[in-house]
Amino acid sequence: MDGIEKNKGLIKKSERGFRVLKPAQTGFSSPATHYAEPRIDLNEVLVKNPDSTFFIRVVDESYAEFGIAEKDVLIIDKSIQPKPTQLVCVTKEGVFEIERMDFDSKEETQLWGTITHIIKSVL
Amino acid sequence: MIALVDCNSFYASCEQVFRPDLKGKPVVVLSNNDGCIIAANKEAKSLAHIPMFQPVFKIKKVLEQNNVVCFSSNYTLYSDMSQRVMNTLREFSPLVEEYSIDESFVDLSGYSASRVQELATEIKDRVHQNTGIPVGVGVAKTKSLSKLANRYAKKEPKNDGVYVVDSEEKRIHLLKKILVKDVWGIGRKHAVRVESTGAITAYDFSKLPVAWVRKQMTVLGERLWRELQGETCNELVPLPKSKQGIGTAKSFGYKLNEYGLIEEACASYVSEVADLLRQQKSAAGKIEVFLATNSFSDTDKQYRNKVVITLETPSSSTIKLTKVALQALRKIYRPGYRYKKVGVNLFNLVPDNKVQFSLFDFKEKIECEALTKAIDKLNNKYGKNKVKVATVGNREKQWALIKEHRSPRFTTQWDELLTIGKV
Repeated sequence: MDGIEKNKGLIKKSERGFRVLKPAQTGFSSPATHYAEPRIDLNEVLVKNPDSTFFIRVVDESYAEFGIAEKDVLIIDKSIQPKPTQLVCVTKEGVFEIERMDFDSKEETQLWGTITHIIKSVL
Repeated sequence: MIALVDCNSFYASCEQVFRPDLKGKPVVVLSNNDGCIIAANKEAKSLAHIPMFQPVFKIKKVLEQNNVVCFSSNYTLYSDMSQRVMNTLREFSPLVEEYSIDESFVDLSGYSASRVQELATEIKDRVHQNTGIPVGVGVAKTKSLSKLANRYAKKEPKNDGVYVVDSEEKRIHLLKKILVKDVWGIGRKHAVRVESTGAITAYDFSKLPVAWVRKQMTVLGERLWRELQGETCNELVPLPKSKQGIGTAKSFGYKLNEYGLIEEACASYVSEVADLLRQQKSAAGKIEVFLATNSFSDTDKQYRNKVVITLETPSSSTIKLTKVALQALRKIYRPGYRYKKVGVNLFNLVPDNKVQFSLFDFKEKIECEALTKAIDKLNNKYGKNKVKVATVGNREKQWALIKEHRSPRFTTQWDELLTIGKV
């Protein structure tokens, strides 16, 4: 019943003959039109080589000395050759670790990738 | 020159990129449902008593005794790693043919012949550095030769995974190293015929009269024969062919007799194939549904049936296809059996912009399309299957494949990332 009542109302309205203006473009075109740019895309900024980039989540405070805390996410680019003292992700006896690149080190480690950014949530 | 780049035991290698602790250890990957071994790394293959494509339950003991690490297949991960490898190859050439998930032909015609040897090694090293996936590279004038070169690159340790056929001597050397039955494109039947002439190696085959080859092995055999001489007969195909049919059929994790659960599985497969259909911008004209009991079981009553339904108008809408598929399923379902598998195939695919609408379904079509688009958008944003047809239901655990040992989807799911820490 409710629906019919409502419909009645609609018909009445149109019978009263409201006229609606056909919408037309008014106002002024934006002076910024020619300056508009796409918004910043963090993927573009933080991931230069998507095909060689991997993410690793840190699960404890073992790497506090590097300013890396629990829950941080490391962005790692395997294609980048690290320079001395840069942060790298290595594997030592089959286990992932974080180190500063040291070309003179005699330890048996294998380079996995170069850390390019550390994502921290401060919330 | 054409390079064939092939990933070494690809599925196992993908797992090992994220599991450095498994270096040098035998690793196998199991089929959907963990039924049998579909991939094994070098170390696992060298354990000669581990047969491929064998039901796992039959060899479980051998696997355990040899400390073989088993993974359920993680196709999400393999597919992403495959894309990484292919994209890395595109840094070397604009023309790359993705031949399979772990194999690509790369056109190197832009490089001078003197650089190719060096380049082949560079390709191998860069793919390994960027993705962690080891590959073998075979380079030659034709696809067929490069395929053989790749095989030889991996087989002969001194090649170190790279073999370049850049001279006539090397071509002959290569052909003499490959047995007839190992030549890409010579099937078992043809191999027997070729061997009956006394030919043992690919070289012997290449010396057979072309007329004989054509007569015995049709024009396909002749093309192969010519390619082995260094004459190009098969060009690179840069874009993947749109598929002629899309389908999926997976065994249930359990044997099912409840219609409702089978219906949910069926609806879920429809939405899976419909997704693929839309990705390649096609619409399907026919849909086939089949249902089967476990034919390996001696104790179960057996039943299998299938039905094909032609749509009035080709469609790519999950909603429409689900409706039709469930009609089909209802036709073939018989109570009283323990079903093992339901499958959905889509045929008569046409480009979706060439679909002829009939007068009566035009309105329905438009509405369906808008809805499908909105659903796809939501699912892209919030994750696969967040919005789905209600028939799919929420009881996936009661029918879905068993994937007990699946690794995390390290590269596609934010909450399944690789982790690092000492605790």
